[in-house]
Amino acid sequence: MVDRFSSVTREDMMTLARIVGENNILFDDADRLAPYSRDESGSGHSAKPDIVVKPQNTDQISRLAEYCNRRHIPLTPRGAGSGLAGGAIPLFGGVVLSFEKMSAILEIDTENMVAVVEPGVVTNDLCLRVAEDGLFYAGYPMSVQSSFIGGNVACNAGGAKVIKYGATDAHVLGLEVVLASGEVLQLGGKRRKDSSGYSLLRLMVGSEGTLGLITKIFLRLIPQPGPTADLLVPFATTEDAVAAVPRAIMASQSMPVAIEFMDGASLRHAMAYTGNVVSQVDDAEAYLIIQVEAAGKESLLDTYRPVGEACMEAGALEVFVADNPWASEKIWSIRRNCLEALRVIDPTVEGGDFVVPSTEIPTMMRFIRGMAQKYRAEIPCAGHVADGNIHPHPLKPNDRTDAQWEVQRRQLLTEIALKAVELGGAVSGEHGVGFLKNDILAQSKRDELRVMKAIKDALDPHGILNPGKLFRLGEHKAE
Amino acid sequence: MLARIVVLIKQVPTTESVRLNEETGTMIRTGMDSAINPLDLHAVEQAVRIKDNAPDTTHITVLSMGPSQARSAIREALAMGCDEGILLSGREFAGADTWATAYTLVQGLRGLFPFDLVLCGERATDGETGQVGPMVAALCGLPLITYVNRLTWDEGTITACRAIEGGTEIVSCPLPVLACVLRELNEPRLPTLAGKVRAHELDITVLDGEGIGADKSLLGLAGSPTRVVKVIYPSFQRNTQLFLANDEGMEAALDHLETSLRRAP
Repeated sequence: MVDRFSSVTREDMMTLARIVGENNILFDDADRLAPYSRDESGSGHSAKPDIVVKPQNTDQISRLAEYCNRRHIPLTPRGAGSGLAGGAIPLFGGVVLSFEKMSAILEIDTENMVAVVEPGVVTNDLCLRVAEDGLFYAGYPMSVQSSFIGGNVACNAGGAKVIKYGATDAHVLGLEVVLASGEVLQLGGKRRKDSSGYSLLRLMVGSEGTLGLITKIFLRLIPQPGPTADLLVPFATTEDAVAAVPRAIMASQSMPVAIEFMDGASLRHAMAYTGNVVSQVDDAEAYLIIQVEAAGKESLLDTYRPVGEACMEAGALEVFVADNPWASEKIWSIRRNCLEALRVIDPTVEGGDFVVPSTEIPTMMRFIRGMAQKYRAEIPCAGHVADGNIHPHPLKPNDRTDAQWEVQRRQLLTEIALKAVELGGAVSGEHGVGFLKNDILAQSKRDELRVMKAIKDALDPHGILNPGKLFRLGEHKAE
Repeated sequence: MLARIVVLIKQVPTTESVRLNEETGTMIRTGMDSAINPLDLHAVEQAVRIKDNAPDTTHITVLSMGPSQARSAIREALAMGCDEGILLSGREFAGADTWATAYTLVQGLRGLFPFDLVLCGERATDGETGQVGPMVAALCGLPLITYVNRLTWDEGTITACRAIEGGTEIVSCPLPVLACVLRELNEPRLPTLAGKVRAHELDITVLDGEGIGADKSLLGLAGSPTRVVKVIYPSFQRNTQLFLANDEGMEAALDHLETSLRRAP
């Protein structure tokens, strides 16, 4: 335990209860604290908080931060807990600040096409709400019905629609942020551009709760796009699938909304898990899912046809078409459940998240196959191939103990991540660093990390905000 | 010898919030996204599988009654591998109940005679009546096999497994026959790009009441003996009961839960 931090005393608890209301804290109740000790990064990682607080407004959060800062109590912000990098795990105990009671959609400004929301809004609920006004929120991660918008912003979440619409940072126009000192900052707002000074707004997006606590979010909306169709395209080899991507993009009249990759093993596991079966081809080693948007139903075929034909010319074994919501959902439920399906086989499975220039994906996939041989382990892969962002999911082999595999998996994922860096990539494309990738971040961005640390020290001199994330901080409590 | 199969399909809304016209009791379909009724997809798949085994000697016709937008559902079936599409469409068909719908489809089927096998889904997700298939069989004088979860076609005979309470019934039947199928029958394929393009280029025959030689008084709302007296939207509510393992402990909480479940209707 790092001795710079204080534990939460009974007196602290009473002060915190006065700030948020005594019905909005959890203390001394191991069963109810337990869910706040972990996230979706795998069942192997957890650390219990001393107390969970559930504030309802910015003023309370400001007072909480000011108090924790004065008392040097760690403060770990938490959204839905759907993160995959351990970002919401309170490594040093202290306070978990859960945004679950700040879930209001404050305003849908249809004239400016901006949504103003609290961080605890489920992103899917926001999408459904803005659709009622004919609007569309395009920053949509894969964790559709669970993740909070605040978590999406904190991790700069990606998802399947990044190639056309960008990651979360492309949609954030403004933030209200509480600093460690308790000071409340308004960054940006409803304006669509701003070239006045450093963009603290951009700095906050993706900072994983280490620089400030996001209490209000202004999001860019666009008109609801036209109907979509999804192509499920099997290829004999991963190389063929990857080579088809730029050809499919060039053949589309506008950028496809999504180009997703699944290897044959991921598809089979996810089909078994979801019970949804889609047409397959026996010899396929890799599948692409390509989503296109058309101006109207009449032009849908003309929109996906050249894309499908380009795939066939690039060596696709077949092109299957889903152009109604039911058929499309069948395909996407399989893609979304790739990781969940593997958890049935290996409950501790952890997803890698490297990103490389997309031309380097075949090299990466060959490297991963080499890793699978070296470690004698199956590594199903899925991801956002047009972004160069792939998630390898190494599965624990039966001949290894949990402890052996924990070490080997860490080595394996580190080797993959560093290979990505060597090829001009990064160690995380969209899940964030959390604490699981501290070390590889330090290895891959040595100089940048020094500047990042200086910024962290300037904004959070006592290091109370989400300690142990991004930067390693001595021995922590995580199991 | 050519095997002739007719698949009856219905276009249904893909939305979960179906609205009804309270005066007529019929569904408001305007502006709704729609697709082939999911159970009908299994009927189409079965027909196409029979054709896969004998492509040169099998002919599949898709028959549907609906507004002109139902063409897209027919095209989906053509894209899956059916040969020909016929849409029965006209104002006179509007507001048809299951009886008038069955009558209309039978009039359409008369033009396709002789056929060997008629397939349809067991029910549609919008009306949920499951009546049209059996009514068509009755009006045509065809043998009927319902709840089919397995089907084989061999030299003029159909052998089908019917899912019945507590088991399976195996039925053999000479052709022609009408079978209403369940989702367990097969996994419908996704159409291929080539299938989609082919379906787009095929003409769909559209016939109105006159085209099928129907008695107008038996069509649409006028020909529907069903009268919807009242439309009620069910309210969705959850009656949550929390059984907490508090002072009495986990065992007591489980006892309360068990008692409550046993009391439930």
